[in-house]
Amino acid sequence: MIELAVSRLNKRFGGNHVLKNVSFEVKGAEMIGLIGPNGAGKTTLTNVLDGAVKPNSGTVYLNGKRIDQLPSFEVAKTGLGRTFQVTRSFRRMTVLENLYVPALALGKSHSGDEVRQQAMEVLEFFTMEHLRNEYARALSGGQQKLLELGRLLMLDPDIIILDEPFAGVHPKMMEVIYEYIRRVNERGKAMIIISHQMDSIFALCERLLVLDYGDLIADDVPEAVKNDPVVIEAYLGATEDRSGTGQNDAAGTT
Amino acid sequence: MNRQHVPHALGVAIVTFFVAFPFVYTGGNYDYIMHICIVGFFYAILASSWSMLAGYAGQFSFGHMAFMGVGAYTTALFCHYFFISPEPTGICTEFALGGNYLIIKNPIGVTSTTLTQDCLAQAMEKWDGAVAITRMPVWLGVIFGSLVGGVFGLLIGLLVLRLRAAYLALFTLGFSEILRATISAEIQITRGQAGIELPSLFENGITIAGHVFSKTDKIPPYFVMFFLLLGCLVILYWLSRSRFGLFVRALREDQDAAAALGVNTTRYKVLVFVITSMMAALAGAVQAHYVTIITPNNLMILQMSLVVAMAVIAGVENFVAAAIGAILIEFTLEMLRTSFTIGDVTIDMTLWRLVFFGVVLMLTLRFARNGLLATLIDYFRRGHVAAETVARHKERGPSDSVPSEAGRQGAPS
Repeated sequence: MIELAVSRLNKRFGGNHVLKNVSFEVKGAEMIGLIGPNGAGKTTLTNVLDGAVKPNSGTVYLNGKRIDQLPSFEVAKTGLGRTFQVTRSFRRMTVLENLYVPALALGKSHSGDEVRQQAMEVLEFFTMEHLRNEYARALSGGQQKLLELGRLLMLDPDIIILDEPFAGVHPKMMEVIYEYIRRVNERGKAMIIISHQMDSIFALCERLLVLDYGDLIADDVPEAVKNDPVVIEAYLGATEDRSGTGQNDAAGTT
Repeated sequence: MNRQHVPHALGVAIVTFFVAFPFVYTGGNYDYIMHICIVGFFYAILASSWSMLAGYAGQFSFGHMAFMGVGAYTTALFCHYFFISPEPTGICTEFALGGNYLIIKNPIGVTSTTLTQDCLAQAMEKWDGAVAITRMPVWLGVIFGSLVGGVFGLLIGLLVLRLRAAYLALFTLGFSEILRATISAEIQITRGQAGIELPSLFENGITIAGHVFSKTDKIPPYFVMFFLLLGCLVILYWLSRSRFGLFVRALREDQDAAAALGVNTTRYKVLVFVITSMMAALAGAVQAHYVTIITPNNLMILQMSLVVAMAVIAGVENFVAAAIGAILIEFTLEMLRTSFTIGDVTIDMTLWRLVFFGVVLMLTLRFARNGLLATLIDYFRRGHVAAETVARHKERGPSDSVPSEAGRQGAPS
């Protein structure tokens, strides 16, 4: 069973205390929403979990293995994959090549049809197989987001962190991405989704984590979080009138 | 024949042409034309290996010519200072080596060779021809040159791990100039600007298939350099098709994203530096033995710019294009040497050819960012992709809708 244990994580950038004693656990193929105002530390938390940033203190265990001091590529191989706030496809590589990278990084053989077969299955899953030989830069923004998700399927991690999967996409494409996230979760992947799209988050997730200036102020089912006075004070109340527009969370990135 | 196969067919034709060329060429200036070819191959090795470093891996280094110089100077110093003698000299630094002695000459710089002699020359005067000393084999120097180039590549690769784009370019530029300045300054050891002489590739001539070639014949070095180029291209081809090629390109596109997908970016970044600098050092070592002298001026930034320009004009993201481009440009530059007169104005083409070259470079960067040859190769190799996408798109329907759960096939694990 998938098990992520985050314990008393602290991260400071200079005098900026971005994560304060953050602790939580993920057990099984949970669908978790991670919300909070800009500068709350959501992206920093992602970067620490993924190994891109080392925490000042605290531990992270994934399936019993300590990962908080490992470099990114080791964390990825251990079973934690993430997307980035701004889509980061390999633009001057073909769609298939984008998908091959994580598969080969796992040590799968380049020759032989196994990897190609797997990549074609991923493309069929996203109905993108006709684009397989196009450069990623030729894809639309929404398709690039799907390609990023596809790369994660090739990496086949236990836990997937999606940083703003709905940012900057058309409502119709948003529905498509929403549906694919649901289906990926159904395949037994635990998912942590960072988003300001409250409707999607409340509909998708069975559990919400709320960060506010580095403090984890809530960890509960959506209904309880919605009615939590602390959360309303810190976040929900303030975003009521601009729900669906907040898309950028530049603070706390590396 | 399928359009995709045109580049392969052309490749075979070009290789055949260069293999046959020395035997079928009957025009004038045979040695001069052969010389241009050899220098062209030399630049082709540099341009194609640099294209792997800069074009594939995105490491826009200006240190490539410095690695070439490391290879050349390593073999030059090795052949200049190390000898084998059956008798000890008693005055040089020497080590017993089997039944013989490894002699290391003392550096005397360029100060009047008539008054000051190195220890080996003194010993030989004393022996008066009674003892025959042996030079170090050229091939051993070339191998050392390549290895030391690789070591330098490793060090630079480790030092630039965290540097990107402009900072990497500045760093390698600095390294290159420091190396050149050091070689110029260490007159005692490297003979400074006077340069250091090397034995010829085949100092005693060579006999191939019953035909005797003297050490000044162009055919042996022509084929040495040509097969070196082919060897490098085969290695680069193999690398580009393996996971190495895929990972270094991912590294170029987005280092963090590649790491997040499990690619050990540190290892591949260092590896690409080691491999390409070994190739540059190898080419430098062989070239130095071919022209039999190496000076610090060969490491000048102008020389580096030439390699960069060759790769960029032809196509920096395709090492084959870079190699062919280097040969073509070397030829063009030599052909443009001929000055001409219009009325009473004489155009000195030895100077103006570089202006012409610069204009071509600027126009390429502005209008064909991927380079002239690479664009052509892409037309043949990827021309079908767009049509294929459209055809499949029509077959499949739009991709911005989710297929029904039942209609979906091939679920990834």
